[in-house]
Amino acid sequence: MPDKENKPRQILIRFDARVTNLQAVKKAAYKYINSFSADISLNDNEILCSLTFTASANVELSTRLIEDFKKEVLDQDLREQIKAETEPIRNLIFALAFSKTGIVGNEQVPRD
Amino acid sequence: MSKFQEIKFYKAPQFSPYTLLPLRFIPLDQEHYVLTNLAGEYLRVKRGTLLDFLRHKLSNEDPNYTELRARHFLIDEASSIGPELLALKVRSKYSRLSEFTGLHIFVVTLRCEHSCPYCQVSRQSEDKLRYDMSTEVALGAIDLTFRSPSKNIKIEFQGGEPLLNFDLIKYIVLEAKKKNQESGKNLAFVIATNLALISYDILRFCREHSILISTSLDGPRALHNANRPRPGSNSYEKTIEGIKLVREMLGRDQISALMTTTEASLNCARGIIDEYLAQDFKGIFLRPLSPYGFAVKTKSYRAYDAERWLEFYTQGLDYIIELNRRGAEFVEYYALTILKKMLTSEDPGYVDLTSPSGIGIGAVAYNYDGYVYASDESRMLAEMGDTTFRLGRVLENSYEEIFTSASLLEPLEASFAYSVPMCNDCAFESYCGADPVFHYRIHGDFVGRKPESEFCFRNMAIFRFLIQKMETDTFAKQLFVKWANS
Amino acid sequence: MLKLHGKLPVLNSVTKDSYLVTITKSTNLPLVLRKQMALLGQPSEDGKDYKAILTKEIGATNHHGDSDVFKISDDYDYLDEGDIVRLDSESGSLRCLYRKNSPHNTILLTEQCDHYCLMCSQPPKNIDDSWLLKEAFELISLIPTGTERLGFSGGEPTLYGDKFIELLHCARRSLPDTGIDILSNGRAFKDLEFTRKYAAVDHPNMLIGIPIYSDDPVQHEYVVQSKGAFDETIRGVINLKQVNQKVEIRIVIHKQTINRLVKTCEFIARNLLFVDHVALMGLEITGFTRPNLDVLWIDPFEYKDILSEAVALLNSYGMMVSIYNHQLCTINPDVLGNYRKSISDWKTEFLDECLSCTKRADCGGLFSSSKQFRHSRYIKAFK
Repeated sequence: MPDKENKPRQILIRFDARVTNLQAVKKAAYKYINSFSADISLNDNEILCSLTFTASANVELSTRLIEDFKKEVLDQDLREQIKAETEPIRNLIFALAFSKTGIVGNEQVPRD
Repeated sequence: MSKFQEIKFYKAPQFSPYTLLPLRFIPLDQEHYVLTNLAGEYLRVKRGTLLDFLRHKLSNEDPNYTELRARHFLIDEASSIGPELLALKVRSKYSRLSEFTGLHIFVVTLRCEHSCPYCQVSRQSEDKLRYDMSTEVALGAIDLTFRSPSKNIKIEFQGGEPLLNFDLIKYIVLEAKKKNQESGKNLAFVIATNLALISYDILRFCREHSILISTSLDGPRALHNANRPRPGSNSYEKTIEGIKLVREMLGRDQISALMTTTEASLNCARGIIDEYLAQDFKGIFLRPLSPYGFAVKTKSYRAYDAERWLEFYTQGLDYIIELNRRGAEFVEYYALTILKKMLTSEDPGYVDLTSPSGIGIGAVAYNYDGYVYASDESRMLAEMGDTTFRLGRVLENSYEEIFTSASLLEPLEASFAYSVPMCNDCAFESYCGADPVFHYRIHGDFVGRKPESEFCFRNMAIFRFLIQKMETDTFAKQLFVKWANS
Repeated sequence: MLKLHGKLPVLNSVTKDSYLVTITKSTNLPLVLRKQMALLGQPSEDGKDYKAILTKEIGATNHHGDSDVFKISDDYDYLDEGDIVRLDSESGSLRCLYRKNSPHNTILLTEQCDHYCLMCSQPPKNIDDSWLLKEAFELISLIPTGTERLGFSGGEPTLYGDKFIELLHCARRSLPDTGIDILSNGRAFKDLEFTRKYAAVDHPNMLIGIPIYSDDPVQHEYVVQSKGAFDETIRGVINLKQVNQKVEIRIVIHKQTINRLVKTCEFIARNLLFVDHVALMGLEITGFTRPNLDVLWIDPFEYKDILSEAVALLNSYGMMVSIYNHQLCTINPDVLGNYRKSISDWKTEFLDECLSCTKRADCGGLFSSSKQFRHSRYIKAFK
């Protein structure tokens, strides 16, 4: 059935705030700025995302974008979490990598 | 004389407790999983065994238990020295990191007389002299090079076609050697050239200064010439001629060859390998096509997909193993790099497959115009208009500024595999690498989403392939052990 | 096999306790020197005053008042100028402790041991034999400085603790150019303090050989018959390498170590790549090996392919490997590069089959004990 009005589609997506990090949702939404705009709000234990698609987006496209958006949220959420957990070892390894360059204070500057 | 105890005296009761050491696991095939420990050593087990093991239900009578303990996946009453040995091995693996930048790429000119459609470098045609590096920039780049703490420095001349600016190459070699009199590093030089312009004079200089040559050989004549259009359509002939000349003047093993994979290569794995054998090379690096430079402009990058390339690779590797079985010594270098990580505590130092990424830490590129890039690929990206990985400029920025530039540190940190979803708990992480430039190019950020990443797909398939080979083919296992230690 | 010790008829006894003495064949040494030496042979008319005389002839001239006189048989024809023996004129006991012509002399420091290996060639005795250590000090003072290598073994030499270290210092001072080979189970070196003391000897050429029989701690501990051995031994090896001491890993190949030999070598290559040498050794049919033969014996010919695989692996990893105590006809040609003629010259034997073998000169032969009690069924002369 053809669209009678050219009204932009609006879809509401909910994320469980106990499980999903708000920052991750925002980062994901930012990635899709070209495809939809997102109104994000917090309601008790729910993060509410109201996505407004551009007028030209048909059902198929917007469905795909929504799926992709959800994947992106998960991706960003995990990135946050793992980055935080692995900070000590990451710092250790980078310190080792730069240890002889003389750039990070205190180390011997290589001369021979 | 006291009695001798039987072996059961030295065993704990069957289901005695054991402690898990840090490990990761991943499915290998329908039946088996691969476990890897902190030092990157792997063990193949059946799924049932893995489950029992993780649930602390594995009997110490099970032969798998003995392997798990010997390879440091668990400690128990009988032995708890595992962590100490793991620590030693991990330390060995990371010890090369602090050597820092060993590979220094000098792009002495962007001029070139070929017009290869996939060319990573957007070359400019021969008559534009403003595409040559100046002596001032060269000197500045040499200073930056020697500022690296690495005991081993390799200066690689690239282009365009670097021999078009051979005078500058000579200058750089002599200046670098002069500077090295104070530094005493192990200094090596390589020229990456298509050999069309090689001559006795050039080779005399190379011989005097022990300069190695690296050239391109894509395969048999038809394939090579199709890939590399040149006025005269004789790129292959010139290359073969050039190889002979180089060997005559410098020695048989002073020249190496790299292939580039195109759509046309994918059906000729054997033909390409046979060509390398015929030309007396000791091995081949079966490369994927990089998504930079002309490759993208002329749409050849999308012309094949990961599955087809994988088939090409596995066919090629199978063929190479066969050749070895029949008595020919011939290596595949990408497998060798990975096998070093799987079977030894050595770091192969291959900048494209390492975490932290090799950008800056392993390699750096000084472009003809003085701009400094985090890697060769980073430079190619810039030629396409994207300077994300530009670190600074020779003569304008100090060593400190360049190597603490945000354009280096951000991708390094963001792409660190251990801190990234999926890589963080991937059993193959210690064999793999972070490739921020690739992922930025294809996926738009330094990390990408690994399930969608061709880099990930390709490497995981190769890891599985190598492990399966070792588990099912004793000859291949012994061959791989030799490769890993060479 | 050479007869290194035995009882001789005593023709004259002067000295009360046993003593060490260097052998000479020279009949007209200056008097001062004669008093310190044992003459091998018949003294001349005016030649007397040797500390001891070892002679085959009996006669009136043999009764030299000042010297201990022993009647020596043909069994001791190997004795030569510069050899050092322990003599006891009350019991007639002679023990050869040092042979100048031997490329490798080993000094037994104790028969006590904290292991009880199934195949031990020097079964432990739980008695106080610290006199052996005292004797070792004395022996070192007599051994000539031209000696290339000297071994210390037991039992377990490190049971002497600091006294053992002292002995090493003594060897270094008195014989600075003599290389030292120590056999030990390595466990004492789990203590880093002790290891540093060992390193402080600062010997330019000292190697310690430590057995690791399996990558499986249960199997290793079964072979050495001691719980807790595995971890302590490994830690000992790590500590020794931490202070830059030369370490050799030794594996005796028999039925209790063959099934994991390749995996054990993999373990060594992955974890102990920094050791200086790996020795893969054939079984000697002496000591405890004989009562345990049914548990230990496997014909080397039957495991030669496993041996080849193990050696190929270690070679691939760039480790130094040697095969000891095997016969050339029981190994594959691919390990010839690692094969050594290793059986001490005094216990090397060949079979009748070997008389016509074209490679006999290159072969290490068999242990006398192997010839006598059990050897490969596949010994066959090369044409």
